[in-house]
Amino acid sequence: MANVKLTNVKKIYQGNVVAVHDFNLDIADKEFIVFVGPSGCGKSTTLRMIAGLEEISEGTIEFDGEVVNDLQPKDRKISMVFQNYALYPNYTVFENMAFPLRLIRPKMSQDEIYERVTKAAEILGITEYLTRKPRALSGGQRQRVAIGRAMVKDCKVFLMDEPLSNLDAKLRNQMRAEIILLRKKINTTFVYVTHDQTEAMTLGDRIVVMKDGYIMQVGTPTEVFDRPRNLFVAEFIGAPKMNTFKTNLVKKDGKYFVTPFGAEIPVTGQKADLLAENGIDSQEIILGVRPEHVVLADKPSKETIRVILQVNEMMGNELHLHLLTDDNTPLIVRVPTMNLTDEFRNELVMGKELYITFESKVMHFFDTVTEKSLLYIDKEEPVQEDEEEINAE
Amino acid sequence: MSEKDLKNNEPQVVEEFEEEKLEQPESDLRQEVAFDDTAVVSREKRHMGMKAKTRAANITIYVILVIMSAVWLVPFIFIVLQSFRCESTYLTGYVIPKQWGFDNYARLFTETKFPRWFLNTFIISVVAAVIQLIMVLCMSYTLSRLRFKGRKALMNAMLILGMFPGMLTMIVLYRILADAGMTQGNSIAGLILVYVASSGMGYYVSKGFFDTIPKSLDEAARVDGANRAQVLYKIILPLSKPIVIYTLLTAFMGPWGDYVFASYVAFNVSDGYNVAVGLQWLISTPSNIAANYTIFCAGGVIVAIPITLLFMFLQKYYVEGVTGGAVKG
Repeated sequence: MANVKLTNVKKIYQGNVVAVHDFNLDIADKEFIVFVGPSGCGKSTTLRMIAGLEEISEGTIEFDGEVVNDLQPKDRKISMVFQNYALYPNYTVFENMAFPLRLIRPKMSQDEIYERVTKAAEILGITEYLTRKPRALSGGQRQRVAIGRAMVKDCKVFLMDEPLSNLDAKLRNQMRAEIILLRKKINTTFVYVTHDQTEAMTLGDRIVVMKDGYIMQVGTPTEVFDRPRNLFVAEFIGAPKMNTFKTNLVKKDGKYFVTPFGAEIPVTGQKADLLAENGIDSQEIILGVRPEHVVLADKPSKETIRVILQVNEMMGNELHLHLLTDDNTPLIVRVPTMNLTDEFRNELVMGKELYITFESKVMHFFDTVTEKSLLYIDKEEPVQEDEEEINAE
Repeated sequence: MSEKDLKNNEPQVVEEFEEEKLEQPESDLRQEVAFDDTAVVSREKRHMGMKAKTRAANITIYVILVIMSAVWLVPFIFIVLQSFRCESTYLTGYVIPKQWGFDNYARLFTETKFPRWFLNTFIISVVAAVIQLIMVLCMSYTLSRLRFKGRKALMNAMLILGMFPGMLTMIVLYRILADAGMTQGNSIAGLILVYVASSGMGYYVSKGFFDTIPKSLDEAARVDGANRAQVLYKIILPLSKPIVIYTLLTAFMGPWGDYVFASYVAFNVSDGYNVAVGLQWLISTPSNIAANYTIFCAGGVIVAIPITLLFMFLQKYYVEGVTGGAVKG
């Protein structure tokens, strides 16, 4: 249990390759933080710097106010789960889990080691495999052992580096739920790295979205989903990804409209207020509309866009329709299947002409050059912004 | 042959070749069955040609193997037989002894300094092997896992240095050892020093093996609270048994069979001889040969015993696939 503070942390490889730029983050005690981003964004590197497995090129990392930059991993009181499990093949499951305890000085009694390992095994449901060697376990079981090994000892920070990415989809969902439950039992500070935005959304108290070594946004799952600060976050969070395309924002008589593909769709509600508040005038923008906010219209009108259906993906509870506008911009729309008639569903084949419009209250607007949100503007330096968010919680 | 003919021929050749490839394992199987089951023979007829071919190939291979093993084994058998010869001690025109007995072995241990030489060699080999093992493993682990300035340069330098034959340094080494008082009667210390001094340079094989052990195991262990030495000792070495055994064996065998350095360092003082030098001395002159030839053979057999035992004992540790289940797979 500790709060973790990263100040201006930088990672430079071999003199010139910068993997992490100026990383500033304050992780509260017992918080579950998720680093998410595409591969190569520096999320694992940052985690490994917290673990002490990578040297910190610049900046400081503090646990409870104590700078740990020069501490060896073994002295940082951390636990870590690796993507490839990293179980010791020469030891049994029991010995794997007892390994961290056996290294503790002054020595822990055999009874306590036994008690702790069996308790962890019980929580993870791997008691019956304790005498086996790792190679005799399935992927999911190995992952449990890896988690078990990390949870037997008392640690300040629990680090997880893409722990679920080697599991199949079904097992991944199951383990995700288990990690949420586990977190309640372990009750320490978690830092979790993933490239999967679903994991990030479901697990994190706060999400750190990263790209090319920069933090793009830090916030709660709701914040990053509903109020993305830039185009990257908007597109990265949410599946299927947000539809984005260049169009014009028009301000007419104090009211805002967007004019995508020849249509004229009004902007209403809070978003319109924010645009006005930020003093946005008519300009070219990048418009972002989530697939669930695209609406199929019954008949053409001033507010609708004509599209041609390309692909119809049946997901069960909903359809993902891949559409193409007249100027060949691809769009995706999510249509819940619940209220659709069979007749209509049968008509949804390639080449079908459809008319769509956008929900007027939930569109996102981004600057064409900076790709920053026109709605949620960072008014202060990133460092203070992070602190603000901490305080807000 | 016209171009057309060539074209016609080509596919045929390919076909034949494929047939052969496909049928070979099948007929091998059937051959085994056919020994027990005569009913298969009728079905075999179709493949008779194939079978004959396979048999011919097998016969050829076995003949070659038998010749090769004979070539290898004859000297050993010869020495063993000679060592049991009691009727005479000199070189004879026949191989199989007329009178069998352990006389030569008895004389080896009572009339020569062989026990002393054997002890010398044993001490040198064991100490050198242990020190060399430690040095090679530490070196390999360091080069495999740690990244430091000059690592590449160091590795290259060692590779190049390793290409010079060790003999080149002999004169200088003798001078140094002589000044340090580690020659002649005190050859044990001197030879150990010679054998282990540059042993870290033999890191290639074990470094290559360490490189195949996932780094995340090291990292996991370090996060779990282990220091580098503990990682090596508790995680890497148990996974590297084959390579540890290999290093130990080669480190032991070098000094055990060495003649050149050993004779040089001991330099005419028989107390400092190792077995190779001592045994050679036994047959160093024509009169010596006449007197000691069979004793020399007995010595050869005794020298081979520890190595044989070592191999037999350590062989079972050559286990494959020790890293199974470490990481995803």
